[in-house]
Amino acid sequence: SINESVGPTLRHVVAWMSRAEWEQLLENLHSGQTALQTHALHRLSAWRGRFGNNTPVAVESTANLVRCQVLDSSGKLEGDDLVLLYSMALTRCVNLILERRQSRVARSLRNLASKLNIPEWIVNLRHDMTHRRLPSLKWCRKGCEFILNWLRQEYWSRQLNGRVIEDWSSSSEEEEDEEERSKRHEEERAKRQRDIEAHKKARELLISYEREQFQVYEELQSRNSEHGPWPNATADLSWILAQIKQFGSESRDVLVGALVQDGFLIPTGEQLESLDINPSEDLLDPLTPCLPRVFLRFWFPLWKVLNSPSFITPIMDKLFAELSNEPTNHRAYYISAWISEILHCNSKSESKAVRRMKMMKERIFVSRVLFQWQDLISACLNAPCPATPFLLQQILSDMDKPLPPATQQNLLRLCSIYTQSNHGDCSPTNTDSSQTVYTLESLQERLEGATHDRLSPNHTPQTVQATPTTDLQEYLSAETIQERNAALRGSPWSVCTDKVPWKLYPLGKVPGQSEDPSCLMVETYSTLTVFDQQVELDHIPPPHGNTSGLMQSRTGSDGPLWTHNDLSKLKAGLKLF
Amino acid sequence: MKVHKVSPRSRNEQRKRHPPKNKWRVHNKKISNVDPSGLSSSPATAKLEHHLATRQKLKLKRLQKVYTKAVDLTLEDNHSVRAKGKVSAPVTLPQAHTNGGTEVEAASDSEDSQEWRSYAKSVLQNGMERRGGRENSAPAASEQLEDEELPGYHAQHDHVQNHTVLVLQQGQSLCFRGRCLLTCLSGRVEVLGFTIEQGQQPYPLFSPSSHCPLTITALGDCTPSTKNKKEGRLEAKAIVRKYLSSEPRKRLLSEVDSDSCVVLLQPLDTPLTRFLSSFSELSPLFDINSKELRSQAAVYDPALSAVGVTALRGPCRQGLVTSLSYREALSNLLSAWEGDFDRCPIVLVCGAKNSGKSTFNRHLINSLLNHTASVEYLECDLGQTEFTPPGCLSLSTVTEPLLGPPFTHQREPDHMVFYGQADCQADLDRYLDSLKTLWRHYSGENPIIINTMGWVKGHGFQLLLDLIRFFSVTHLVQLSYGDTPQCHSLTPEFLRSAQGWQTHPPSQPSITDEPVSHLSARSHVLLSVHSEFEGAGTSGEMRHQRSNELRDLALLGYFSHLQSSEPGPIRPLHCFTPYQVPHSAVAIGVTHCEVAPNHILYAANASLVGLCCLGEKVSGRGGPVLLSQVPICHCVGLGVLRGVDMARGLYFLVTPVPPAALRQVNCLLLGEIKMPKILFTTQHGVEMELPYVTTDYSFDITGAGKLHVFKRRTRTCFVNTKTNN
Repeated sequence: SINESVGPTLRHVVAWMSRAEWEQLLENLHSGQTALQTHALHRLSAWRGRFGNNTPVAVESTANLVRCQVLDSSGKLEGDDLVLLYSMALTRCVNLILERRQSRVARSLRNLASKLNIPEWIVNLRHDMTHRRLPSLKWCRKGCEFILNWLRQEYWSRQLNGRVIEDWSSSSEEEEDEEERSKRHEEERAKRQRDIEAHKKARELLISYEREQFQVYEELQSRNSEHGPWPNATADLSWILAQIKQFGSESRDVLVGALVQDGFLIPTGEQLESLDINPSEDLLDPLTPCLPRVFLRFWFPLWKVLNSPSFITPIMDKLFAELSNEPTNHRAYYISAWISEILHCNSKSESKAVRRMKMMKERIFVSRVLFQWQDLISACLNAPCPATPFLLQQILSDMDKPLPPATQQNLLRLCSIYTQSNHGDCSPTNTDSSQTVYTLESLQERLEGATHDRLSPNHTPQTVQATPTTDLQEYLSAETIQERNAALRGSPWSVCTDKVPWKLYPLGKVPGQSEDPSCLMVETYSTLTVFDQQVELDHIPPPHGNTSGLMQSRTGSDGPLWTHNDLSKLKAGLKLF
Repeated sequence: MKVHKVSPRSRNEQRKRHPPKNKWRVHNKKISNVDPSGLSSSPATAKLEHHLATRQKLKLKRLQKVYTKAVDLTLEDNHSVRAKGKVSAPVTLPQAHTNGGTEVEAASDSEDSQEWRSYAKSVLQNGMERRGGRENSAPAASEQLEDEELPGYHAQHDHVQNHTVLVLQQGQSLCFRGRCLLTCLSGRVEVLGFTIEQGQQPYPLFSPSSHCPLTITALGDCTPSTKNKKEGRLEAKAIVRKYLSSEPRKRLLSEVDSDSCVVLLQPLDTPLTRFLSSFSELSPLFDINSKELRSQAAVYDPALSAVGVTALRGPCRQGLVTSLSYREALSNLLSAWEGDFDRCPIVLVCGAKNSGKSTFNRHLINSLLNHTASVEYLECDLGQTEFTPPGCLSLSTVTEPLLGPPFTHQREPDHMVFYGQADCQADLDRYLDSLKTLWRHYSGENPIIINTMGWVKGHGFQLLLDLIRFFSVTHLVQLSYGDTPQCHSLTPEFLRSAQGWQTHPPSQPSITDEPVSHLSARSHVLLSVHSEFEGAGTSGEMRHQRSNELRDLALLGYFSHLQSSEPGPIRPLHCFTPYQVPHSAVAIGVTHCEVAPNHILYAANASLVGLCCLGEKVSGRGGPVLLSQVPICHCVGLGVLRGVDMARGLYFLVTPVPPAALRQVNCLLLGEIKMPKILFTTQHGVEMELPYVTTDYSFDITGAGKLHVFKRRTRTCFVNTKTNN
């Protein structure tokens, strides 16, 4: 997607377990149904518990305002009560939102509000609430409704759709000048818009190219000569190619980004079928990927116009980057096949195949591209996939200043051990005892660690190295478990002895946990009251004598408002309206 | 019975018999065995009591060196020069307010007290001695002095044994960043008030970029001058030979003299250091900080860097800057310790944020540990705790010196109460009541140091008054900085009329019939300290210096106890085998806000919990047991509620608390202190999406950030008038 080009992403710790929990809350909050809104308010109380003083201002403000609406619709409160409630919720909301926009030099709220599309009457309403006659309930309701809509538009609908730019702490510590800030925002927004436009255009151009080429293929097919050479470009195709070339020179990265998306250089199953290529993956050997000829010819005219080194190098980078990004098998196959094809065309040894290609003018390049070989090797090694040894072999044999043969061999062997755990052709015949013996598991572990590290940009290569090759899971010996359980005997505690690969379960997840965001709802609970907390220093009571307990039990009837099932039913019911 | 200085040889033999774990091991054990009620009458305790009675006081390490006259003169000189030279600058001299005739420095002719006093005096001198040259000479001269000292580190690394031998001449000091294990091979060195002599156990030193760097200073040799110079030199050379192979040895031997100190530095590899370095963000924690980098303060010395030590030079090598009032307060307190314990010193240290309380405490504790086996410590600061994770109030017995910042010595306290927040503003009464609960556990037999929070305005100041009254403080150290005091001076006179939060001034008695004894029991000695270090009163701005980062480090330090002490992989928290407990067997509560009962597990899952022990039995009838209010109860430690099994009704918990303590836990408290973010974002080996972690949250969207309080905001009108002028 377009977001991938925006840059590195930051990981934030938030109060919701998953996007589903966020979406469920959003839905309930804006449902307009008191019961669902109450449920959302209760969940927000748990979020506040998690966030502590990091609770986003918009979340807190929304909760306060929705609480007013819920209490209003309950009919239990008098008008004057409600005015007071609404006033506090509204005042806090306006203050907190605008406060964050303040810079070192104080500005009037009206000024700040106008920049945020908050109308003047809201600011005046706040002013009346704090300094003048309390407004009428009608005005309170109106203001509350407006602000809730505003929050929905400005915060709830936009959040979790875009990408992160700042961090909790950086954003909170920052005291940026407000004008600078809004300027920067505008610029960013404009840039994002430009990116989206450019991306759209790239896709349009490529689609029109494909459409044109499919027509050509269909004609060839009708003449039963689809396996032969393709005709020279038609006028239409030439025009499209010229446009693509022009576009590529203006926004190369966007074009490269679009090309490696599914449906272009990575064919969809449908596309393969229309080119009479069996899309079944069983026929393909992932170790030595190779592009179907017809498919290569399909894209050949495009490569011809984009064969400059200034384009080939970034596309190689992009292909490797995509390969390192945990692609599906299908994607990995075609990405590595394209890499192989490019390397092949660039090959310095004039093999028969190359000469044949030359003759058939099926070579992507006119002249050899001088790659940054070291970079290429590390890019290749950073993107382990079944085809990595194959690609590495190509790179190594193609280098202008080849590495020493022993190094080459070691690199290749390590690489195949790393990527092909199921191939026994690398038995350690000449290894001496000092070398580390890798187990299948440890290598998988490493692979996992490596991919994980790539996902989080905060990691320097140092940590990748530091990622231990041994198993991270803690295995307690039988004695340790026995020892611990003996110490715990008589208490409700024990060591968990379930056979669970805990290393696969992140904090907050346990085996068998449902993906349903309602999975942690409590249906029955009891309440414990601890009395008498006063501590008098002069009069020291006996240990533990200062507390006495009272246990109350509650069941679903007067405890939880809605059980999980009730909610599901309610939600199902909602869809009928 | 007196402990006499033993010759190095016999000390070494002792060391062999008792593994060098703790130099006061024997005494400590005895102390911890004392039945606090004093009712036990077993022969063993009786013997011990007798032993204690005859000894009066535990004196375990004694510095017998009496400073020479010359040094004494330096002190006088410094004092007068300083007083004359700095007329314009406000030099706050400590004001000792003794009231009601309690003579703290009661005359005592015993040899013990003389030694105490001479040591107390030496503290005063040490600082002067070290800073003297720099303070009194013109800036140019002082720079010159430092330049001269620059290449002077005589250190050699032995590659086979992977350690470095460092030779320091008397008075020479090494101010450094990094971490290492220090053993004194010959002579005597001092680190943050603690002296380490030949024959003592190795001590871990931590000098991370987050705090003021540590300084190792070579002190004068304290061995009786029975040996002549030559013998001393030969002995020192023999030690160097023993620890270095021939090649590096040669280069060092010529530098060794009879009065030089020889220290052994070894790389320090502990579960803590390994756990911290497993996070790439924290890997530069023990490197020099950005300011030192800018001023090119690092001295490149391969022998030192081989063991993880970077020496500093230039202005950065100043290390801890102690003002005269600081040293005088320290000296005063050491003298007070000498008293006969009929009124055990109760020292309360207070001052605004970043006034240097924490460093002063560490310095004081270390200085005391030179002479006494243990010091009691009451933690009343929730945000920057010394021994426990933040949000906890605790009472500890300190027996080991503190040669690093708090996150390097997270230890199990004797008693702890979980408060749950980094400040006490939300519930002042619970804060005070928690402290009172802890105070009940204080035996009163040992002197105690009470650390307080940096909130000294408004209600914070009232709480401070309460604490002084509750604990019957005898010595009050009040730190301040800058020209204007941060709060009213806490003189006994002031306390007689000031209102606290829970306490009130005693009703004014008529002068005639008030018994003097009552009043005197309530008064204290006030020691005012004016901090003069650079940046006093301002919070650190560099990486790892902000208070929330320090809190995270403390928590990481705490959870590093989960890691195996043997070398091996560093495990992320989720990889540990958890403990399990049924929902109905432990109560659960939230300290800082209201959470809807049915949604409680949304707040609890994957959260940090205080593991607490309620007096009453907890047995719910299926489902969680919720606390209706926050209890004040004993807390054995913290854990992570790693997951919730809804089907079987179990909590899974990962904690470094030993099972014997965990068994008492029947209450889990959730606080506002959160798990360090890094523990969520770095979970290696997990294939599924990480819960509670997202890359899609944007802080650019209006209202996305937390509530932000702006300080120091000028109104537009002020700006305008300024520009108009």
